[in-house]
Amino acid sequence: MTASAPVVVQLEAAGRSFGGTPALVAVDLTIRTGERLAVLGPSGAGKSTLLALLNGGLQPSHGTVSLFGEATAGLPARTRRRLQRRVGTISQGLDLIEQVRVLHNVNAGRIAEWGTARSLAALAWPRTDERAGAALESVGLDWAIHERTERLSGGERQRVAIARLLVQRPELVLADEPVASLDPTRAAEVLTLLGRVSSDTGTLVVTLHQPQLARDHCTRAIGLRAGRLVFDTPIAELGADQLDQLYARG
Amino acid sequence: MPDVRDTYRLPADSDRPEPPNLDAQRRTRPRVTGRQVTTRRLIGALVLVVPLVWALGRALPVGHDIVNRGGARLIGDLLGQALSPRLDGDFLRLVLEATGTTLAFAAIGTAGALVIGLLGGLVLSDVAWTHRPPRTVRAVRVVLRGLLVATRSIHELVWALLLVSVLGLDPLVAVLAIALPFGAQTAQVFGDTFDGLPTSALHSLRNAGATTMPAVAFALLPPASPLMLSYAFYRFECAVRSTVLLGAVGVGGLGQELVVSLSSRNWDEVWTLIAAVIIVSALVDAWSGRLRADMAVASCSEWSAGAAPEPPGGVAPRRSRSRWARWSALAIIPGLVAAWLASGVSLSGLTSSRTRALTGGLVEDLLPPKLPAGGWSVVGDAVLDTLAMAVVAMAIAVLITVVIAPWAVTTRAQGGAPGSLPARIARRMAWALARIGLLVLRSVPPTVWAVIALLALFPGILPGALALGVYTGGVLGRLVAESWESVSPVPRNALLRSGVPGALATLAAVVPASAHQLLTYTLYRFEICVRETAVVGIVGAAGLGRLLSENLNLFRFPVVSTLLIASFAVSVSSELLSRRLRRAIRA
Ligand SMILES: Nc1ncnc2c1ncn2[C@@H]1O[C@H](COP(=O)(O)OP(=O)(O)O)[C@@H](O)[C@H]1O
Ligand SMILES: [Mg+2]
Repeated sequence: MTASAPVVVQLEAAGRSFGGTPALVAVDLTIRTGERLAVLGPSGAGKSTLLALLNGGLQPSHGTVSLFGEATAGLPARTRRRLQRRVGTISQGLDLIEQVRVLHNVNAGRIAEWGTARSLAALAWPRTDERAGAALESVGLDWAIHERTERLSGGERQRVAIARLLVQRPELVLADEPVASLDPTRAAEVLTLLGRVSSDTGTLVVTLHQPQLARDHCTRAIGLRAGRLVFDTPIAELGADQLDQLYARG
Repeated sequence: MPDVRDTYRLPADSDRPEPPNLDAQRRTRPRVTGRQVTTRRLIGALVLVVPLVWALGRALPVGHDIVNRGGARLIGDLLGQALSPRLDGDFLRLVLEATGTTLAFAAIGTAGALVIGLLGGLVLSDVAWTHRPPRTVRAVRVVLRGLLVATRSIHELVWALLLVSVLGLDPLVAVLAIALPFGAQTAQVFGDTFDGLPTSALHSLRNAGATTMPAVAFALLPPASPLMLSYAFYRFECAVRSTVLLGAVGVGGLGQELVVSLSSRNWDEVWTLIAAVIIVSALVDAWSGRLRADMAVASCSEWSAGAAPEPPGGVAPRRSRSRWARWSALAIIPGLVAAWLASGVSLSGLTSSRTRALTGGLVEDLLPPKLPAGGWSVVGDAVLDTLAMAVVAMAIAVLITVVIAPWAVTTRAQGGAPGSLPARIARRMAWALARIGLLVLRSVPPTVWAVIALLALFPGILPGALALGVYTGGVLGRLVAESWESVSPVPRNALLRSGVPGALATLAAVVPASAHQLLTYTLYRFEICVRETAVVGIVGAAGLGRLLSENLNLFRFPVVSTLLIASFAVSVSSELLSRRLRRAIRA
């Protein structure tokens, strides 16, 4: 990626504490359009906290986080929502609505765009429009459009979450451990899909536990340990010594 | 104002479970000693026994005649007609029409309650707001909570009385008298339901930039809808019973016909009407019970305990789509339209200038509150009478429950418990009889029980307590029997296998668990019983209800508002007390 591509996110000495305990400390990070960034680090390192800051839903307690050129702290709710519409987030728990048909979950990705009246209409009479159909097709779930979400397998639900992301047409995709509970084949599939999503629409930030997946699917990697950024390298230069340092005990 | 609060919920720390620090728990948790347990039991027993002794002393004053011998003959007449109800075509047509009216009022009233409940529930629930709701909303909430508690603490029948003085004998009175207090209760339950659902989906929609309304509709309504539907049908069951009760103020339906026939002592008509009430009640119960069982989300006993059941494991319950549930859901709208057309309810009564003038007049009349002739001591006596009546009624209800409910436990009657064929058949018969008995006790409205009790006994606490107790016995018996179905048979079977005789095994393994449930529901019903004393008071028993209806009839509105405030205070404090005790039991 060229250094001249537009900046999507910029963190300057950004930190976040929970009740006095720091979860993330003085992180400097610039992410540009088109990058696929892997966030590596042991459990509790602050990966999810970082993604939450990037989403704009969590406020930094130190430093600044700017999203598409706007600082996220202290924004009026309406402005914050406008920024968040451009960010697609898949969190660790997937956050699907279990009791409804798959189509309903996909349409949920468009509530922000639709506004109240149209969303309520879509809730009462769910309709398959082109975008929802195309999204499900591209994740290979066109057959499941009227299935009940809770009946699908883990991998299929993961793809429903990606389809929801697709219809939102985000410019920045944040995925928190999207492959933690999948077997290696499914994991590779999901990351390929996420890569495709972001190559269509922009930028990907994904937290991972397997460095090999980062090498296969990302362009850049950062390492977090105890809330601090310990490395930030192009993927080709990600070496064993850095990983040892990241996951070392004690 | 800039928004500086966080909307993002980080995932739960499931990937790094804290190792449980048993040592620390051992150190910090206070040890419970055997002596403390004994003390607690003693205090518990006193809390139950002392009020009962006091209430019995108040209900049975020495040196007064209790039984009215003249009236006892009337009861003989009433019973004598039991086998010859009035069944001619004219009267049956009247009964059928009245049944339709009752069902229509109940349906529209329930629908109104659900609308109030949905809106109120959203305002009350925490999840519907991003984080801390804005200050305006919090202020509205405080007011709303108070308003809901006040609305709920006034019994349907009292609502009807007040509404009649504004709207006249309009069908709208019945509908509003159901919709307002039920709506307040529903708002509470729906609010809790929303707050009990998993919120991750909602937060994720919020964090994709969605606004509150559609995000809530998308993420909360689908998982909540089976619970809400189940509750709606439970409420409809209650509404049918309440509508029959409302007949006492003359707004039509089976209840009114009953009151007319009772007061003109046409006993043959009374029996036909009572049979109709029981049949309607049984059919509605069976339908709604079947539906709730199909949706497998909540039993009646869970709903009536006032709170939404916890979805198992924090996961929202599965919605199973049985044919029953689907057809019932589809029937709702046409049913409501039919009910609306049939009952002749019209909202025009609400906005007419006469109503407006009368409402204004009523508000002016009610204020400022004044004491009745005789002052505080009259109010205080009425309060004590009300409490005594509720306590004695609960004692009667518990007695009925203990005698009948064990036979009404379905799992026990149908379970593969050993026994010869005749023994099993006998158990089935006992089950059916017990169920029907409880149904009869709770289907006949307490007003009717009270009128009957007042035939045989002189007015006072006792006839009211008897009427309420018999009715509450039917309700409590069913709730407790239903909850006993979930008492595990495993411990008892283990004892049986180790050679313990059956009765002893029951005593050791089943009774403690069952007693706990009985106690919980008794305390819960006590709250309701306190409110329902108004009902038997209105037909002339004793307590605040009687004072209230006397003063309403005399148009002494300032006194009425004093009495309403007193009822509110009694109702709220008994609710708080009962909740406190229930929490103590759970601890
Ligand atoms: N809402 C919260 N309240 C308190 N502490 C939190 C909260 N969220 C995260 N933390 C803490 O912040 C640290 C980083 O957590 P997280 O970002 O979830 O790590 P990771 O995703 O890398 O496993 C942990 O110590 C965690 O306990
Ligand atoms: Mg995490």
